[in-house]
Amino acid sequence: MTQTQSAPPATWSPPAQQPVPPTAQQPGSTPARGPVARWFEGTPGRMRAFLILTAVMSVVFGLSAAQGFRQADGALTRAEANAAQLVRIQAIHTNLVSANADATNAFLVGGLEPPDQRRHFVDSLAGAARLIAEAATAQPADTAALGALNQTLITYDGLIEQARANNRQGLPIGSQYLRDANAVLQNDSLPLVKALVQANEERVDTEFDGIGQGNLWVVIAGLLTLVVFFVTLRWLARRTHRYVNVPIAAGAVLVLLTMVVGGVALSSASSKADETRSGAYDRTLALSRARIAAYDAKSNESLTLIARGSGDAFDKAYNASAAAVVEQLGKLNEAGLRSQWNAYDQMHKEVRSQDTKGDWDEAVALAVGRTNGANSVAAFTAFDTSSGDRLQATSGEVSTSLTDARDGLPPIGWLGLPIGIAAALLVAWGMSQRLEEYR
Amino acid sequence: MKKLLTPAVISLALLLTACGSGDYAATEIPQKPQPSESSAPPPAPQRDCVDPLQSYTPEGTMPPPGAMPPGTYMAKIKARGRLIAGVSADSLNLGSRNPVTGVIEGFDIDMIKAVARAIFGTDKGTVELRVISSPQRIPVLQKEQVDIVARNMTINCNRWKDIAFSAEYYRSGQKTLVPLDSTAKSLDDLDGKTICAPAGSTSLDNLKDKNPQAIPVTADTDTGCLALFQSGKAYGITGDDTVLAGDVAQDPYARVLPERFSDEPYGLGMSLKHPEFVRFVNQVLAQIKADGTWMASYTKWLQPALGKLASPPPSLYGRTPGT
Repeated sequence: MTQTQSAPPATWSPPAQQPVPPTAQQPGSTPARGPVARWFEGTPGRMRAFLILTAVMSVVFGLSAAQGFRQADGALTRAEANAAQLVRIQAIHTNLVSANADATNAFLVGGLEPPDQRRHFVDSLAGAARLIAEAATAQPADTAALGALNQTLITYDGLIEQARANNRQGLPIGSQYLRDANAVLQNDSLPLVKALVQANEERVDTEFDGIGQGNLWVVIAGLLTLVVFFVTLRWLARRTHRYVNVPIAAGAVLVLLTMVVGGVALSSASSKADETRSGAYDRTLALSRARIAAYDAKSNESLTLIARGSGDAFDKAYNASAAAVVEQLGKLNEAGLRSQWNAYDQMHKEVRSQDTKGDWDEAVALAVGRTNGANSVAAFTAFDTSSGDRLQATSGEVSTSLTDARDGLPPIGWLGLPIGIAAALLVAWGMSQRLEEYR
Repeated sequence: MKKLLTPAVISLALLLTACGSGDYAATEIPQKPQPSESSAPPPAPQRDCVDPLQSYTPEGTMPPPGAMPPGTYMAKIKARGRLIAGVSADSLNLGSRNPVTGVIEGFDIDMIKAVARAIFGTDKGTVELRVISSPQRIPVLQKEQVDIVARNMTINCNRWKDIAFSAEYYRSGQKTLVPLDSTAKSLDDLDGKTICAPAGSTSLDNLKDKNPQAIPVTADTDTGCLALFQSGKAYGITGDDTVLAGDVAQDPYARVLPERFSDEPYGLGMSLKHPEFVRFVNQVLAQIKADGTWMASYTKWLQPALGKLASPPPSLYGRTPGT
């Protein structure tokens, strides 16, 4: 303890360097806790104790603040990554149901598949395969499920190609393979996709919740540290009859400032994230769900026609899917999409009315887009294209706004510990001034 | 002071075990519901009845097309404008959708067209075909969702309880389809092999009777069996010779064993509630059997695979409604 009042506390040595060997190294020596107890004896001893406590608390605060920021920063990064993964999984889902909508529709036209539809099918399946590889890299926890999904897709595509080959030869068994392929997709692939969607939605939710929790670290550790500072200052004021110990008070102010700045920054990041969650993220989810339900509806339209009169179950499934589309679109303020969907739904009603009237051929012509003028395929494609564009825009918005929130955070993540050490040094400096008086 | 130290230590401990690391539990792979391995209930014992091939006797002369007697079910169909028939869309040559034209065609379909012609005078635009699966045949008639079923349906006493049959319109028999390289000569040689038959069909019951050592596999349709056969999930298929002929036509690596171990008389299924319609259909069948329409249809669809036939099966009558 050789510092003077004016010297900075840079070379202050911690109490551990006092020539006081720990008791454990002196077994059998008289009074076992002697030196340590003596060191904390009387007023200077109390001062040392307060010094240690306050300094340790300062460092703990620094670490906590750093932890809080790292947690919030990590949660933001992970929320963004998981939201991106969710969008990816939903894109896989969309690709699969869209491919299946093409396949079931092709069932109605037999061996003569429209080339556009075939290309769309191949693109959708290729897109799904590429996204599965991407998604497996992005989230290791999904790898096993994605691997299983990949397996089902190989089976699915194999059956589809078998169906095409048979259809092309005019053999009725082609339709059986198409039915089997549809069953693989419905019973094997989609349950996996749904499990993936659910797992990733949960992860996004966890991380969005975690962003706010980062603040707890800063605020709780900050308040606790301020209490310790306050108790120390009050005790010192009473003992030494000086109102304020300036360096210790400066340490307290440093802690307070860090807490306030950090708390405000974290709250604003967290509220920005909440805004994204209830804004762009929710819109992304709603759009994805609407698109998936829409493809399901289109598939069910074809399946109802394929079943030729015994398709009540598929017609009910269409109505359920269409209701889901309307519900999801209702969450969005997208009049354009809404009217495009209504246009398709109107076409679907036309298909149904032709079929119930007994004119199956006309119903099929409408459903596969073989008629001139308005038909079900054209109406659906319009909805598909614009909803796809909207989805791309909103999912981009999610990732941009989460990145913005992250970039807005002050660098307390790595400044936290230096701040805590600085506060501890201020405490040591301040306390050493008083300890000097007992030399 | 110690009171203050404790929370500090706790928060330090919390720091070290900081949560939110981003390590997630692996996404759970949903368990597939195991298909219940319930071998369907044993076939109901064949009920004895008077000759099942006996249908209701036609009454009076046949009304000319377009002039159905008022109050009859035919008049109702006429008023509706179309005859609704439950058919198969995947039994080649009986009732199958031609993938090129999209039209459902075959021997069964020709029977329906004959009935439609007798009611409306034409079969163009007066027939609505509903595709049904094998197990759906009886329920759709009981619920009156279709007027008539022409889907290679065997006439038997058990079914007479639930629905009415026309007179026999074709005499089929059950055979077995095996891979081209199989050495089996009859179903008895297929112990321990998986043999497919459509669920709810008489073929399935016959298979269990004829060779209990074979492992039955079921599909919803006849073509479903062919798909299982082609993917190796079924070693063979058992079914009516008409259906198997269609299967062989689609798969050159299959052959049908010559052994024919049952008689499967086909009848058109109708609801028990309209005996006058059954009588009318019997008149139609008698007419087409007599005037060569039946034989022309047989020659077109079935003769290439099943060979020449001297004459259509005779129509037997004598049953009274309610028995």
